Amino acid sequence: MKIALRFVAVAMLLAMPAILAAPPARAESTLDKILKEKKIRVAIDVGNPPFGILDKDGQPDGSDVAVARQMAKDMGVELEFVQVPSTGRIPALLAGRADVTIASISVTSDRAKTVMYCNPNGALQIVIFGPKSIAIKTPADLVGKRIGITRATLEEATVPKMAPQGTNIVWFDDISATIQAMLSGQVDAVAMTSFAGKTVADGNPDKQIETKLPVTTAFYGPIVRPSDFELRQWINTWLFLNNQNGTLASIYKKYTGLDLPQLPVF
Amino acid sequence: MNYVFQFNVVWDHLPELFEGALLTIQLSATAMALGLCVAVVCAYGKSAGPRPVRWVVAAYVELIRNTPFLVQIFIFYFSLPVIGIRLTANTAALAAMTINLGAYASEIVRAGIEAIPHGQIEAAHALGLKRLQIFRFIIIFPALKTVYPALASQFILLMLSSSVVSTISAVELTAITNSLASTTFRSFEFYFVATGLYLAMALGFRAGLSAIYWVMFRRGRAA
Repeated sequence: MKIALRFVAVAMLLAMPAILAAPPARAESTLDKILKEKKIRVAIDVGNPPFGILDKDGQPDGSDVAVARQMAKDMGVELEFVQVPSTGRIPALLAGRADVTIASISVTSDRAKTVMYCNPNGALQIVIFGPKSIAIKTPADLVGKRIGITRATLEEATVPKMAPQGTNIVWFDDISATIQAMLSGQVDAVAMTSFAGKTVADGNPDKQIETKLPVTTAFYGPIVRPSDFELRQWINTWLFLNNQNGTLASIYKKYTGLDLPQLPVF
Repeated sequence: MNYVFQFNVVWDHLPELFEGALLTIQLSATAMALGLCVAVVCAYGKSAGPRPVRWVVAAYVELIRNTPFLVQIFIFYFSLPVIGIRLTANTAALAAMTINLGAYASEIVRAGIEAIPHGQIEAAHALGLKRLQIFRFIIIFPALKTVYPALASQFILLMLSSSVVSTISAVELTAITNSLASTTFRSFEFYFVATGLYLAMALGFRAGLSAIYWVMFRRGRAA
C-alpha cells in the first residue's frame, strides 16, 4: 500500500512537466467550424442596390453578393445566404444565424463596440437628393425642410449631426419607404447612397430628382462576431489578395459603374 | 453563444422609450373612442338603415376586414397625397387605425344589437319612446354591455397592431425602439424592454376598460 502510494506520487512528479507544457484545450473557433462543415453562412441585405439586390430570377445579386460568392469559392466551402433587412444585419450576426455579414456596413466606431470589422472592401457616398423644385444648396437650407432617412443606415448616423437645428428629420424602417415618401411628397428630400439616389432619379425622370448636398463618404467592410479573430484574419488575408489582383475593383466597377477608391486597411 | 447583455444602455434611453409609449397610448386611446363611434353608427346603419346604407356599410366592413392593415396605412400615408390629401404620419396612422377598428368593431356591435329580443323593442314602441330614445336605452346600451368583452379584446389588438405605424415614420414605441436598437446595436435588450412595455400597456388598457365597464354598466345597478 505504502509502496503503491509512493509509486503514484513519483509518477505524478515525473508527469508534471508534461501536464504543464500541454497546450490548453481550445474551444472550436468559427473558422474551424466553417472549414469542418464546409459551409459558410453569410448575411446579406438584398434590398439595397447596387450592393445587394434580387435579380429577375429572384436570385441574390449585387456587389456584396459577388464578394461573398468569390470569398466562399476561394475558401473552398459551400455558401449559404441569410437574407436580412438592413436593421437585421448586425442582430442576425450576433444571434449566430450567420458567420459573417457582408452587407455594405460602413465602418463606424459605434458599430465597432458590438461587432468586429474586417478591412474595407468598398466605399460609398451619402448624398441628399430631392426634386428640382426644392431649393437646398447649403446645409442651412435644410432648416424647415422634411428630410427622410432610413433607420440602421449610415444616413441615420450622419445626417442628424450635419443638419442644423430646425431640420425636420423623418425616420423610415426601410429604404423603399423613404424613397416612396419623397416620390409622394411626404418629405421634401431624402438622404441615401449616391448609387441608390441615381437609381431613383433614373427611374422617375418626371420628378426631376437631383443631388442637393454631399453628406459623407464612408468605407464599408464585412463584420464578424467579437472574438472571431481567426475568421477575421482569414477574411483580411483574402481581402488583401483580392485587392492586389484587382478582383475587388472589377466587382465594384461592374455594379456601381465607378472605380474603386484606394482601400485603407486597419 | 456567449452574448453579454448590457441593459444599462436601455436605462439611459428610458425617457425616449416612455415618450414612444405615450404616443402609442394616445394614438390607441383616440382610435378606440373614434372607432367605437364609427362602429356604433355603422352597426345601426347595417341593422336598421335603408337598403343603400346597408350596402355601403357592408362594402366598407368587407373591404377593411379583408385587406392587410399595413396596406391600409400605406394608402393613407403614401397614396392620398396623390389626390391632394396630405396627412402627417400621426394623423394618417390615427385615421387608418380608426377606420380599421371601426370595421371590426361594427361587426361586434351588430352582433350585440341583433341579440336584443325583438319584443323588447316592440315594448319600447308601445310605451311611446321616441326612435332615438329606443336606440339609446333599449338597443345600444344593452348591446354594448353584451359584447363588451369582445370589444375590449379588439381594442387591445388595435393597440398592439399600432406597432406597424412605425413604417410611415410615426414615432411610437416600436419606431423609437427600432431607432435606438439600430443606433446602439443593443437590439436584444431594447426589444426585451419594448416587449415588457407593450405587455404593461395591454394590461393597463385592460384594467382601464374594466373600470369603464364597471362605471357604465354596473355602478348603482347592483341594488
